[in-house]
Amino acid sequence: MSDDFRTRARAWLAANAPRRSSGDDDGAGSPTTIADQKAFQAKLYDAGFAGLTWPKEYGGQGLTNAEQIAWSQESRDFDLPNGAFFIGISMPGNTILEIGSEAQKKRYLPRMLRGEEIWCQLFSEPGAGSGVASLQTSAVRDGDEWVINGQKVWTSGAQFSDYGAILARTDPTKPKHNGISMFIVDMHAPGVTVRPLKVATGHSPFNEVFFDNVRVPADALIGEENKGWDAAVVMLRHERIAIGTMGGSRTNPLGYDTLRDLAAGLGRTSDAGVRRSLAELYARGRAAQLFAVLLREEAQAGRMPGARGSVAKLAGSELGRFAGNVAAEVLGDQLAGFDTDELLAVTTAIVATPGSAIAGGTSEIQRNIIGERVLGLAKDPGVDRSTPFNQLRVGTQRQN
Amino acid sequence: MALILTDEEQALAESVRKFVADRSPLTSLRHLIASGEPYDADVWKQMTAQLGLAGLSVPEEYGGVGAGYSALSVALTELGAGLVASPLLACILAAEVLLRLDDETAKLELLPRIAGGELIATLAVASHAGGHVTASGSGADVTLTGTVSPVLNGAEASVLLVPAEADSGTVVYLVDGAAAGLTRTRLTAVDHSRSLARVTLARTPARPLAGDAGAALAAAQDLANLALASESAGAMKACLDMTAGYARIRVAFGQPIGAFQAVKHRLADMEKSWELGNAAVRDAARAGDAAPARFSVAASVARVLLATAYAEAVVDTVQLHGGIGFTWEHDAHLYYKNGLSNKVLLGGPSDQLDRLADSLGI
Repeated sequence: MSDDFRTRARAWLAANAPRRSSGDDDGAGSPTTIADQKAFQAKLYDAGFAGLTWPKEYGGQGLTNAEQIAWSQESRDFDLPNGAFFIGISMPGNTILEIGSEAQKKRYLPRMLRGEEIWCQLFSEPGAGSGVASLQTSAVRDGDEWVINGQKVWTSGAQFSDYGAILARTDPTKPKHNGISMFIVDMHAPGVTVRPLKVATGHSPFNEVFFDNVRVPADALIGEENKGWDAAVVMLRHERIAIGTMGGSRTNPLGYDTLRDLAAGLGRTSDAGVRRSLAELYARGRAAQLFAVLLREEAQAGRMPGARGSVAKLAGSELGRFAGNVAAEVLGDQLAGFDTDELLAVTTAIVATPGSAIAGGTSEIQRNIIGERVLGLAKDPGVDRSTPFNQLRVGTQRQN
Repeated sequence: MALILTDEEQALAESVRKFVADRSPLTSLRHLIASGEPYDADVWKQMTAQLGLAGLSVPEEYGGVGAGYSALSVALTELGAGLVASPLLACILAAEVLLRLDDETAKLELLPRIAGGELIATLAVASHAGGHVTASGSGADVTLTGTVSPVLNGAEASVLLVPAEADSGTVVYLVDGAAAGLTRTRLTAVDHSRSLARVTLARTPARPLAGDAGAALAAAQDLANLALASESAGAMKACLDMTAGYARIRVAFGQPIGAFQAVKHRLADMEKSWELGNAAVRDAARAGDAAPARFSVAASVARVLLATAYAEAVVDTVQLHGGIGFTWEHDAHLYYKNGLSNKVLLGGPSDQLDRLADSLGI
């Protein structure tokens, strides 16, 4: 059955998906408009390629990881203009599927897959990033509604999102992990303000989002009240697996294919050191791809990746760092000053590499997860796990 | 075909693992160190006669099992984890060269006995710095002169395959262990689980083997890469398990030491490197059986990654055990030396990267 699927996928992609023309994606968003992306996602859905492993009753195809692997492999050479849906489907989507109510699954999942609604994830705050459990955004019950106040940061895609999955504190008298809840929030509700954040590359891939007395209905709760940390752990697990198994496109500006061609064009392939670095980049990139395939195969065989998604995520950001170094070796002083689009794309990607070791869970956090949940090592000594939240210090403190 | 192990491969892995635990645990290696023997003959007999390990990659028509490269990789991974000393690697490389050449008589005479473990054979190759051999004469009067060092089980082999430069180019020759002018001197091996020798030939009679020597030697290099990567993957996993295990029970500053990020993060990196190397080994093993056109690149990828990753892991293993990790009595140094040696045997990382760059057309 997987072979029929693969044949179908290949044919559909060839007929409907644009091939990648030049590398430019460092999180700035595809050059296509949101309207274009929604149209493409709708087409993808109608053709039966959206939500491959999601149940049919929620708009999915009810297929297996075998088909998911096949799709990932077949789509590598294409620039699918649906990046706006990646976060929603892989994170809040999978989380609602896992722990949401039946009504939530029916209301939100099909529209995610059809490209009608775009989602964002509202976790990090200025005072709570790696230590997100120290978040201060509050949700206070008022009759049939909750009232949300606070600020979120690093929110990718908030500027065009319809809904968000937000973590808010519902009980500040309990220790930090025990007083958090997760809600669905309408990003167009009164009181929601989105402001773009500019990063080192000059682009604005994410935003600050302010909540000023924003009201959400009681049934917006995902999972149980004060059990939002458990829901967050589910979502973060999906995030690491998604990022870690995303795979690189062949036209990735820091990928082996691109850098080898660039090196040849610059006459650098006669340098023995450059040849070795490129060969090593090939080897490291290949291994990361193969590990992603292995994780999917194991999932298919019933062994869920779990915390090993963090291994994939860490491997990806370490590969990015290595690739950046190889690119710098290839470019030499052309990195310092240049005037072509090709070199702009590569140098922008080099400038962007530190971001991948921080976004989606820092490499330090990934190593903690790997150490504790894969290798069974003891948790870091903690001083704030059992203290009521309203007695804790949070974020950046002033020095007097 | 999928990367993950089939049920059959899983069963093979378990039977080899059990064999290692029952018949050749790490204490066996210590006995060999004390006795000075290159390997335990009884263990070798069981590995070959009972488990058929030397015949896994030899086709049935030549007395082997014909199980293929993936099965061989699975077995080597378990043997590597246990640092089992044996002439297996030497034998399979020699067998591979014979299989790729065209001397049917030699194949029929030698392969069944190599596959059965009765004949120890080795391929006399080393790095450029390890020497070279020239051939003179022709027909029945060919003799070889030169040195190759280090050679896997060079002193134990009854038959040696020796690449040498003839007027026509590289030719692989068959040399009998008792041939005139042949001296094998066992070397001090940094890795206690490897027996290595300097092989010196002084007008030693040799029989040329017909066929494409270059292709045969390239195939042996690719198999060596898969084999060493497989052994290293198994050994690296053993180090990871041993070190994480220690970090869970050793207490300092009121916590198991794994609680501290300096320890935790180093182990997390070891886990990550092992996972990536293991995926590469699985892919190379599969390519060896199902996609031979890309086997060389895949095996190079696995070898390049594991040569460095394992060599680093063994240093981290000593370090994360603290003082005891550096003692003779602890097993860490056994792996440390295996890591040093595996990295440089039959082409170190630089050589492998150059070769991979050539294969990729860079």
